[in-house]
This record gives sequence, C-alpha cells and structure tokens, in this order.
Amino acid sequence: MSRSTPPLASRGPRASAPPFPRWAPWAFTAPFLILFLLFTLWPLAQSLLLSFQQTFGPKSTAFVGWSNFRFLLHDPLFWQALRNTALYTVGAVFVQLPVALGLALLLNHPAVRGRAIFRLIFFAPSLVGLVFVGIMFAQIFQKRTGLLNAGLHALLPSWDPEFAWLDEHVMPSLLLASVWLYAGFNMIYFLAALQNVNRELLDAAQLDGAGPWARFRHIVLPEIRPVAAFVVLLSVIGSFQLFELPWVLLDNSAGPANRGLTVVMYLYQTGFLVGDLGYASAIGWLLGLLLVGAAIAQMRLNRREEN
Amino acid sequence: MSSPRPFTFLSPGAWLIVGLAVVSSLAYLAWPVPSRPGRDFWFFSPPNEQHYRAILEKWNAAHPHDRVNLVQIHYQALERRLVAAFTSDTPVADLVETESLMMSRAFAGRLEDVGFVDLTDRLHREGLWEKINEPSFSLWTTRGRTFGLPHDVHPCLLGYRADLVEAAGIDVAQIETWDDFRRLLGPLIRDLDGDGRPDRYLLNFWENNRDLVKVLLLQAGGDVFDAQERVSFDTAINARTLASLVSWVAGPRRFCVDARDFTAGGDQMRIEGTVLASILPDWQAGTWKSNLGPLSGKVKLMRLPAWERGGLRTSVWGGTAIGVTKAAPDPEKSWAMAKHLYLSPQVAESLYRSTYIISPVKAHWQLPCYREPDPFFSGQPVGALYIAEAPHVPRRIASPYMTLAMERLMSVLVALKAHALARNTFDAASLLPEAPRRLAEAQADLAAHIARNVLYAAAPAP
Repeated sequence: MSRSTPPLASRGPRASAPPFPRWAPWAFTAPFLILFLLFTLWPLAQSLLLSFQQTFGPKSTAFVGWSNFRFLLHDPLFWQALRNTALYTVGAVFVQLPVALGLALLLNHPAVRGRAIFRLIFFAPSLVGLVFVGIMFAQIFQKRTGLLNAGLHALLPSWDPEFAWLDEHVMPSLLLASVWLYAGFNMIYFLAALQNVNRELLDAAQLDGAGPWARFRHIVLPEIRPVAAFVVLLSVIGSFQLFELPWVLLDNSAGPANRGLTVVMYLYQTGFLVGDLGYASAIGWLLGLLLVGAAIAQMRLNRREEN
Repeated sequence: MSSPRPFTFLSPGAWLIVGLAVVSSLAYLAWPVPSRPGRDFWFFSPPNEQHYRAILEKWNAAHPHDRVNLVQIHYQALERRLVAAFTSDTPVADLVETESLMMSRAFAGRLEDVGFVDLTDRLHREGLWEKINEPSFSLWTTRGRTFGLPHDVHPCLLGYRADLVEAAGIDVAQIETWDDFRRLLGPLIRDLDGDGRPDRYLLNFWENNRDLVKVLLLQAGGDVFDAQERVSFDTAINARTLASLVSWVAGPRRFCVDARDFTAGGDQMRIEGTVLASILPDWQAGTWKSNLGPLSGKVKLMRLPAWERGGLRTSVWGGTAIGVTKAAPDPEKSWAMAKHLYLSPQVAESLYRSTYIISPVKAHWQLPCYREPDPFFSGQPVGALYIAEAPHVPRRIASPYMTLAMERLMSVLVALKAHALARNTFDAASLLPEAPRRLAEAQADLAAHIARNVLYAAAPAP
C-alpha cells in the first residue's frame, strides 16, 4: 500500500474526517489547561472569595460581604499607595520612555560607531535582578558615603552631603533607579521600531526641506506609534505592579511617612505582615480592575488616533 | 484494504515526548522521598550553629532514638515557611527558633490557633519563670499566655569613642540624662574640613530608624500598644519623646547623624569619628568587635543617658526565642530538647564569647566569662555591664499589628519634623502641642483598621 496521501476527491466518505481524533487538541492543550486551571483560575476564584472575607491568623475566617471594599475606599493608606503608584507610573511614562526613545534615536543614527556594544551596554542593566538593583542604589543614595552625594559634593562643594535621597526624595530616587534599569530594555523596542521607519519617506522629507524635528514629529513618531503604545501599556502595567525595587531600596519598608508605599506593597503588608488575606485580596482585585481599565482606555485612545 | 495503522495520528517525535512525560511522571511519583529520622530544629542565625551543634551532637550520641536535626534556614524563608505551616498545615519543624516580629505574626487569630505550644503552665510549674529574666518573656506572650522560651535579654548600653571624648577632657560619669549628653558632648560637634557643615555628630540616630525610635520610646516608658494590646499612641510620654527626637535631628541644636547600622557607609562613619556614640544592645557590641577592628581599644560602653533624672538607664532591642510547634509529634520531648539547649551554661558561654549576647538565665550571670576584661572595649567587662542592666529592660508588647503601628508612628515623627522645619521651631516644648494631635490622628486611623477586624474583636485581650 502506498503511503502517499490520496487526492481529496478520491477519499470517499471519510475524506472530510480530521487527520487527528477529536480529543487530540484537548490532549495537546491539557498540560497548559490543567496548570492554568490549578494555578491561575482556581486561585483567582479563591482570591475573589477571600476578598469578601475577613481573615486573621491561621484558621480564623469570617464572611464580611463588601466590607473590605468599603473600607478600602476610605483607607487613607490605600489612597496614598495609589497616589504614589500613579506618580511613579507618570514618571515612568514621561521620563523613562523618553530616555529610552532618546537612546534608541542616538543608536539609530548612522554616524554612531560601535552601536552593537552600546546596545549591549544600555540593555545590560535590565538583565540584573530587581533586588540587586535595589541594594546597589540603596548604597548609591546613602547620605555622606553614597556615590551620588559624595560625587556631587566633590564637584559642587555647596551640595549637601547629607542630601536625603531616600528620606525626602523617594519618588525621584525610585525613578532614577528605574530609568537605569528599564531605559535600555525599552530602548530595544524603540530601536526595532525605528529601524522599520521608511527611509524613503525620511529622505523625501529631507529633500523637501524638513528639519530633524519636523521629520521626527511627522514621520518617525507616527511610524513608531504602535510600538510606543505597546511600550506605554507595558510600562503602565509594570509600574502598577511595582514592589521589589522600593521595598529593597527603602530597607524593607515603605520609607519615611510611607512615601514609597505602592499598591502592591500595601497588599503585601496587609496580607503577609498583618495576616489579613481578605483585605489584601480586595486590594488585588481593585488593582486588577484599575489595570484592565487603563488597558481599555489606552486601546480606545489608540483606536481613535488611528481612525 | 488494510485497516489504518494504530498510533499513526501522532508523529514519532510527539510519541517520544508523550513517552518521556509519562515515564518522568511515574518516576517522580514513585521516587522515594528521603526522610530524616528524629525531630527537626529550624533556626536562622548563622552564628548560633556552632553553639548548638556541639550540644546537639552530644545529645544525639546519648539519645540515638531521639535525634535532633539542626536545620539553618534564612530568616525570610523561615518566616514564609512558618506562615505557610500555620495557615496551610505544610510540614514544619518540631522546634523553631524565632525572632520577635515573626512571633508576633504567629499571634494573629484566636489563642487556640497559635501554631506554637502554649508554654505558660510549664514555665510556672518548672520554676523557669523565676529562673529566667522575667521581662524577656514579654515579647513571646500574648493575652497572658507565653509561647516561647527566651534566648536572650538584649539590654542596651551606649558605645562611644572614648579616645575622642577623653581627649576633650569630658567625664562621661557626669552624664545622667540625654540633655546632659547633649550639653557635655556638644562642643565636640565640629566642622573638620572647613566647608561650613559639621563633620562630627554625637549620636547615631535618625527619624527614619524604626528600631532606634522604638528603643528610645521604650526607654522613655512609651509604646504603641498598652498592656492589653490596645493601640496606645496618644500618650503624654509618646508625645514628649517624639517632640524631643525631632529636636535631636533638626534645627540648630541637632546632635544626631544617620550612620546606618549594618552598612559599609555607617561603619566608615563610626571609624572616621563622624559619629561619636551609638546605642548598642549586647548583640551589636559583638558586631562592632567583628566589623570595626580599627576601633579596638578606642571605644567604651556606658549606661544609656535617661530621659529624666532617676529614669531608666537602659532599653531593649531585638529578641529571639525557641518555640515548640503544635505539629511536633511529641511536644514533651521537644520541650525537653529546647530546655537542654537554651538553659545550657555551655551554650551561654559560647554564645557570649562569640557574640556578646548574654543569657536570660539568671544563674548563668555568675559565669566568669562575663567579667573578663575586653581589649576591644578598652578593658571593660562587657558581659557584666550588660548583665547589670538586664533586670531593668522594659517589657514589650507583641501584636500582629506591630508593623502597621510602627509605620504610623514613624509617619507621625516624619510629619512632626516637617512641621518643625516649616515653622523653624525645633525645641521640644514648641512641638508639644502638635505632637498629640498627630498621634491622636494616627491612633484613630490604626484603631479603625483594627476595629474592622471582626475576628480580633471576637478574641479580645483579657
């Protein structure tokens, strides 16, 4: 018997039968589905249930209805955490991403030599773990002995060597550390987008007398908009999940007067330091809803701009 | 026409993957899990291993059917494992050496749900309550029940640069209060490099140092919870203490500097003399000796200056205890092991010699090692100095809300400093009207947080 596949017309009544049994797709996706069900969907459902419960200690649980959510809406610490997180997000979008785009524009310039090595140098920080970055910047921001204060004092004797980066300027310190960490990572996205910008359009614009800013604004920016939108969305989601960097940078705390308190940090504190997993779940769900809202808003905004 | 071959709906490669998955799953399920005979003892402090190992080896040789396995686990991993064990019944050791914050978290919930065995009756029945320094039990006690056998006392003294202080002709015996300390040592605050800013301060303290704020608050007689474990921010002592602390770190009479412990920068500042004195619990005296070699023979210890004349000359910082978990199959044997280890004079001496930590067992305070002069501390008998303060250390309250309470208290202190800077008024008296207002706000905020916990209200303190 020949092993070659018969032509479709000669397959007879079984010709339309799929090449695999019906259960085959389920068998192939089963490992993922089982794990997803066990470790994502089920905990998600459990956390939703928990958010309507009060937990305290190992065995004590009580159903409290909407109480956790009601209290959350009036909890000043939650609002402070949300404010801090939003501030960091704004900083990430308006400081970190322009820096990343600037680096990408520099590296995309034909006059720059050794682009590969610069690309590696700028990207390298994002290969380092967040905890390491936190520890390193905690040293850099130290009063008197930290690299930043000691260096600035040496350059400008009027600079206060006790400038309290981590006490009174928590958010700028966090942003500085995050720029160092993520700018190179986001630069790669921008660089890839820039390399796909139509050269002919740029050349034509230049011939028509458009300057660098005009070319950037009217050609480059519209061309890289889809990638930029994606990077902004990633940054917003990542910023709202901020936890490890400030936690380590601020010595396992939210910093003086909770200046570094983020939503996820507050979730951790209530859930794992106080033991109120119900309240922590409520915070988690509210955060999830906020992120979904942000994603939808951005998608609509993009769609409107595309139209 | 022959029937289609079976199994051909998958390629050979796919079958190989399926086969590997099946075989590896079966191997995983059938693989025997190695189990250690005997009971496990988890601890987190690396230096403790050497003290415990010698004792446990002898114990294991004498009790071959009741072996104890010493397992060192990183502090945070130990904390996570304990939480997991108490909430989800995951495997846990029979004996666990735990630290204060870890234990206070274990106190969340009803008394009968605490994952450690209640030791209160045994401690009284066996006379250990009298044999051990009594304040050392406070951290391991909630709602009148004690769940840990204390490992230490951790009284505080003041470590200071004797070389610089004595060269200036200052007699520290004249210092009785913090005001004396500021007045007598004040002339040593100096601008050494001529840049118009002081390069030498008197005390290592900053308003964001939670541990030190707590130490000083306890010394003053304040705290964030009262004896019934109720929030108690808004007290006259707390207000007075916080107002004073602001004047320590801001304004023209500032005498403190932020020379963080356990940081290279802080150690450099201590060695260079940027800071003259630090509050030192016994364990930190050991850290100084191992980390600050260049200061050997240049530092001395003295009693803490009091907040007012006749006031407390010490405080307390940190703490460790051993607890028997309820998962232990034979709690009596575990308890016997815990006592054997913690009450051993051999462990007490070994612990002191390597870390300066003094034993909470009063009978051990007679050990000669505590009276030996130490060259690092300019020939002072370090152990004897700490032991003299041990009975006076303040009692502490253990609460699952301690972390949140301290966060709020620290926010009050930071806000009070901002208030002082905004109004350019730094003396404690002028800050006193503002401090109670902010403390009352913080207290109301935390009390509301605790009040919504229907389970905490269901199990009130006696």
